[in-house]
Amino acid sequence: MSPSFLLVLVPLLPLVAAIVTVLVGRRLGSRAHLPAVAGIAAAAVVAFVLLVITARNSGGGEHPRPVDMVTTLWQWATVSDAYVPAADSPAAVPGTAVGADAHAARSFSIAVALRLDPLTATMLMIITGVGLLVAIYSIGYMHDDPGYPRFFALVAMFVFSMSMLVAASNFLLVYVFWEAVGACSYLLIGFWFQKPEAARAAKKAFLVNRVGDFGLAIGVFLLWLTYGTLDFHDTLSPDGTILPGILGQTRLADVSGYVGGAVGTAICLLLLLAACGKSAQLPLHVWLPDAMEGPTPASALIHAATMVTAGIYLIARSAPLYMACPGALVTVSIVGTSTALVAALIGTVQNDLKRVLAYSTISQLGFMFASLGTGTLLGFTAAIFHLLTHAFFKALLFLGAGSVMHSMGGVIDMRRFGGLRKLMPITAATFLIGSLALAGVAPFAGFFSKDEILASLHHKGWPSAHGEHGEHHAFLPVLPETAAAGPTLHDVGYRGVADHGEHTIAAADPVGLDALDRPGVWQALFWMALVTAGLTAFYTFRAVFMTFTGPLRVPEEAGHHAHESPRVMTLPLIILAVPATLAGFVLFTTEGLSRFLAATPSFTAPAVTATAAPAVFHWDLALQGTLAAALGIVIAAVGHLGRRSDGPQLERWLGPVRPFLENRMFIDQLYTAVIIKPVEAVAYLAAMFDRGIIDRLVRGVARLPVSAGNLMRRLQSGLVQRYALAGVVGVLAIIVLLAWRL
Amino acid sequence: MTPAVLLAAAPLPLLQNGLMVGAILFSLGLVGILTRRNLIVMFLSAELMLQGISVSLVAWSRYHGDFGGQVLVVFVLSVAACEAAVALVFVLQAFTRTGRLDSAAWQSLRESTLARSVDHEIPAIDAPLPVFPRLTPAGVSPEADADAALQREHV
Repeated sequence: MSPSFLLVLVPLLPLVAAIVTVLVGRRLGSRAHLPAVAGIAAAAVVAFVLLVITARNSGGGEHPRPVDMVTTLWQWATVSDAYVPAADSPAAVPGTAVGADAHAARSFSIAVALRLDPLTATMLMIITGVGLLVAIYSIGYMHDDPGYPRFFALVAMFVFSMSMLVAASNFLLVYVFWEAVGACSYLLIGFWFQKPEAARAAKKAFLVNRVGDFGLAIGVFLLWLTYGTLDFHDTLSPDGTILPGILGQTRLADVSGYVGGAVGTAICLLLLLAACGKSAQLPLHVWLPDAMEGPTPASALIHAATMVTAGIYLIARSAPLYMACPGALVTVSIVGTSTALVAALIGTVQNDLKRVLAYSTISQLGFMFASLGTGTLLGFTAAIFHLLTHAFFKALLFLGAGSVMHSMGGVIDMRRFGGLRKLMPITAATFLIGSLALAGVAPFAGFFSKDEILASLHHKGWPSAHGEHGEHHAFLPVLPETAAAGPTLHDVGYRGVADHGEHTIAAADPVGLDALDRPGVWQALFWMALVTAGLTAFYTFRAVFMTFTGPLRVPEEAGHHAHESPRVMTLPLIILAVPATLAGFVLFTTEGLSRFLAATPSFTAPAVTATAAPAVFHWDLALQGTLAAALGIVIAAVGHLGRRSDGPQLERWLGPVRPFLENRMFIDQLYTAVIIKPVEAVAYLAAMFDRGIIDRLVRGVARLPVSAGNLMRRLQSGLVQRYALAGVVGVLAIIVLLAWRL
Repeated sequence: MTPAVLLAAAPLPLLQNGLMVGAILFSLGLVGILTRRNLIVMFLSAELMLQGISVSLVAWSRYHGDFGGQVLVVFVLSVAACEAAVALVFVLQAFTRTGRLDSAAWQSLRESTLARSVDHEIPAIDAPLPVFPRLTPAGVSPEADADAALQREHV
């Protein structure tokens, strides 16, 4: 079977499973999980085969080649001559950079095309792998739920949408499945829709995501106007010329292929807004903690391991776009690092086990953004590396929390149970492994990926400490075409445009963001990240100590459930514990992942490869990270080991900050006051206007024919003589009229 | 020589008299059909109007010295005979179903929101009504029509 066929199979199998579950799920009853589990399992196998194929194609050794295999399924839409650029339009410039006629009319055509490259293969493996384990776990977790078939249909549907999102080779297709995963997320958060909190949380997640989706939509429009295509890959036009795709080999090889300046920065910031929505970054992070109202397996799959990483994926995929805009890059890092710090701070005082994990997810995603924003090959691969390890250990932690919740009869407040290590030894052991990985304790997975992220920030903050940049590393991809030497686009093209006159938007660094890209800022970000690493260890082990140590306490809701979860739930925990332990060490020491990812077309742009630095293990950074983690764990132990709830010491330490953090820094209240209340007031006024004025007008108009009809109605007496009289009167009227005319 | 010439054209006064008689007949019929509620009388009135027209046709025919009008009248008469037979069947059927000849007994086509039109002042009938022999009713008595009480026995 050809790789392209296999690539289509990965999304297709879960889609078929979802459709089958929808059609016959009710009849399958307690076996309704079968189609979804089988479909996702098959997809996982296919994804693994694809991973091997991609690794082999990329060379796998010292000199990986960029791998970019595209399968076009069908043309979705074609509009010829959709846009004719104005002669001096800045939009016309990029085309010249890659040899196309800039002023020619452009056809708008959208192909349903899937791509296979290292980044996609890695994401597909994570999605299907974690998806499979979560689906298996859900067999136990969701049993006896009245919505059992619905749950599995949604999970399969989600795996389909997410696979399509990472496999799509077109920005519009990405947008479509960006919305599709959002819809699946909405449906799964509101899975228990009879519960008002769940319905509200689903609505909140959907609305907050809309803000981000708005950014993505505008960003896609701008991309089309700027680049004249939305395809990632190069396409052949009917007359045989190559139309360079946004991330195609032609444009990647061209140093001036990407737009900087105001337009480029706008595109990047809009994509960042989209990523902030989906990946729950400041200021759009508020939906994720509430999303914990959904079933725990859905939280593990969608709101921890996969969907929330779509933002990371989008930015990593658009790396060459960001490389042209240093201001946008540093913004990504600032957003990520502040989110990481804020979420970690809030996470330290949450008493709901799943909420702690939710804030931890936001915080870890912030780490990934921070890493992406460095704009180095190390930063990009470190972000994906952390995405991978985080998917494993966070899914593990969520499933562990679900196991606790299942056993405690739905209670998730850590103050109400404790000492569960004797009651549920497997859950406790695997949760501890996940926590060690999350806290960044060597040699668990999170240690290595977090170390790489800290290293990437450190490189930017103290460039001299790491030697000159631009030293080509051994595993640098061999480009198919040497980069054309020449000035970059925002050096020439845009200044050329600016000379025409009023195109001031084309000036370089229009918003002053580029000024932020200096070592001092990066140093601050590094220290923030380091503090966050310590906080991460603290809140993680606070949760571990509160839940699993001390005297055994079980809430009364637990009833007969208070025992270790069934085999079908502990098995995924044990399986996930393996990569949570080993993935970091193996992938770091062999450099397997970073070599593999370096063959992703997006990372072969000259701007990215120029930043390649030798991957070395920084003992000093590792020591700092470990110290921060150890400090966090020690404080957690002092405050919580064996105690029922937050110890008095912690109470004293935090003082007045505690209510501030417990209320999530009042961000929700701020949004309520600043956005929701005014909107509600406007909505109320609009409703009053509608009901008081518009509706009355409409009803008044409607009353006219009614009253006219009532007048005429009285003529319809049913009496023959009346009708005859009417006839006579009519005839007389005609006669009179005729006579008068004559 | 065409057949029309065989008939000598009548003088103008003859036409005027004929038209006058026709108009009177038509008007009497019109008044009758608008005022009387007895179906048979209404039908007779309609016939009267028809004959008024026929008379005027004959008058015009004579005035023009043309047989056309009179031929048409002969046709009208024969058609009117057929029509009378059909109409009387309708009247008879209506009577056997409801026992009434009052055209106001059938008001079902009125607007549902309008009240049924009812005679409030029924003129007294001078002549004593003849009492017809009746068979003893048998079987289930039909549902009483609430409106029937409001109707006049005779019109």
